[in-house]
Amino acid sequence: MNGVVAKPWAAVKRTASYKEIVKALWKANPISKQILGICSALAVTVQLQTAVVMGLALTLVVACSNLTVSLLRASIPRNIRIIVQVAVIATLVIIADELLKAFLFEVSKQLSVFVGLIITNCIVLGRTEAYAMNNPPGRAFLDGLANGLGYSSVLIGVAFLRELFGSGRLFGYPVIPEAFYAAGYVNNGLLVLAPGAFIMIGLFVWLEHSLLGKD
Amino acid sequence: MSASLKSLLFALGLCVVCSLFLTAASSGLRPWQERNALIDRHRNILSAAGLVQEGRSYPAAEIERLYRERIRPLRVDPAGKVLEEPDSAQSAAGLPIYLTVEEDDVRGYIIPIESRGVWGPIQGYLALDRDGKTVKGFAVYQHSETPGLGGEIEKKWFRENWVGKKIATREGKFVSVGIAKGRTEAEVPEEKWPHYVDGISGATLTGKYLAAGIKDTLGRYEPVSVMFRKNQLAALGLPSTAASP
Repeated sequence: MNGVVAKPWAAVKRTASYKEIVKALWKANPISKQILGICSALAVTVQLQTAVVMGLALTLVVACSNLTVSLLRASIPRNIRIIVQVAVIATLVIIADELLKAFLFEVSKQLSVFVGLIITNCIVLGRTEAYAMNNPPGRAFLDGLANGLGYSSVLIGVAFLRELFGSGRLFGYPVIPEAFYAAGYVNNGLLVLAPGAFIMIGLFVWLEHSLLGKD
Repeated sequence: MSASLKSLLFALGLCVVCSLFLTAASSGLRPWQERNALIDRHRNILSAAGLVQEGRSYPAAEIERLYRERIRPLRVDPAGKVLEEPDSAQSAAGLPIYLTVEEDDVRGYIIPIESRGVWGPIQGYLALDRDGKTVKGFAVYQHSETPGLGGEIEKKWFRENWVGKKIATREGKFVSVGIAKGRTEAEVPEEKWPHYVDGISGATLTGKYLAAGIKDTLGRYEPVSVMFRKNQLAALGLPSTAASP
C-alpha cells in the first residue's frame, strides 16, 4: 500500500494493462492510426444506430476471440494457428449475427453482410495473432475490449457527424429544427454517400496524427 | 505422436466444438428469428398497400395490429374461387392473395410476386386497387441484386414509380406493367405510359426479369383481377371474419 493509496491514478498509469489500453484506444487506434477495418467503417456509419451495434458486435467478437485463443494458446499447433484463429473468430461472428437476427432484426437487415465480414476484419485476426497468442487470458480479453472500443469510438464519431449533417438526425430522431430548413439550411447529401465517409475518416486520421504529433 | 497428426486431431476437435456452438445458436434462436421474418413479411404487405409510412419504424405489436385489422389473407384456386378451408391440402396448392379492408369494406388486393433476378430470386408484393387495374403499391422484401444497380428495386423512388400504373387497358385487356429501359417518357410511346414504369440505368437485365416475372404472376392471378374489374366481389365469397394468417 506504500504510495499507491496516495496517488492511485499514477500507479494505475504505470501498469502494463493501462499502457496497452491507451495504446489501443488512442496511440495505436485500429482505424485512425493503423487504418484497419476501413471497409466496414465506410459502410455502417450513415446512421449512429448501425455504428453503435456494429461497434458492439466487433468489440464482443475481438474480446471473446482473444480470450479463447489465449486460453488455447499453449495447445494450438503452430503450423495451423491462423486456421484455428479464423475458425474461432468465424464461430463467434456467426453467433453474433444470429443473435442480431433474433433480437435486433431491423438493425441486422441494415448491417446486412457487414456483420459477417467481421470475420475478415484485420483488427480481429491482428489482435489474436499479435497479442492473444503471447499473453494470458485476462490481459488478452482486456486488449480485445480496448481495441474494440477504439474501433467503436471512431465509428461512432464518424456516424455522429454523418447522421447529423447528412440527414439532420441522431439515432433516427430529427434534431435540426424545422426553422433552419425554412431559413434555407440543406442537409449535406455527400455525407450520406461513401465518399462522405472517406472524407470524415480522413479528418479523424488527420486530427489524431496532429494531436499525437504534439506529444 | 507426429506433429501433423496432432495438428489434424486438434483441427478435428476444434471443428466439432465450433459446430456444436453454431448448431446451438442457430436452433436456440430460431423461434425469435422466425417471428421476426413473419413480422417483416407482414410489414412488407402493409407497405405495398401503403398502410405504413416509409422510413418510420413500427413496433412489432403495431404491425401485427394493423395487419389484423386491415389485411385478410386468402387462397384462391386458379379460376379465382376462394378456397374455404385455409388449411386443407387443396388450399395449400391455391394462390395466396391478401385483401386490404377497411371496416369490412374491401379496398383492394395484394399479390405476392416471385420473379427471377440477375443473381437470385426476387420476392415482393404488388398491391392493386379494387378496380382490378390500378397499382397501389409495390414492395420488395427479398432479392440479391447488385446494390446501387439492380438493388435500386427496393428503393423508395422505384417503388413509388409503380403507384397509379394500370395492369389492364381501359377496355379491360390484360397487359401487365413493363419496366422501361430508362425514363418512360423518353422510351415509350405516350399511349403506353400507364403500362410502364421508369427503369434503372445500369440494371436493364434486372428490369427485364422483374417485368417478365410480374407479367407471369399477374397472368396467373388474372381471374381474380377480372372479378375485381367486373365488381363481382360477392363471387369471391369473401369471408366476413378475419382468417388468421
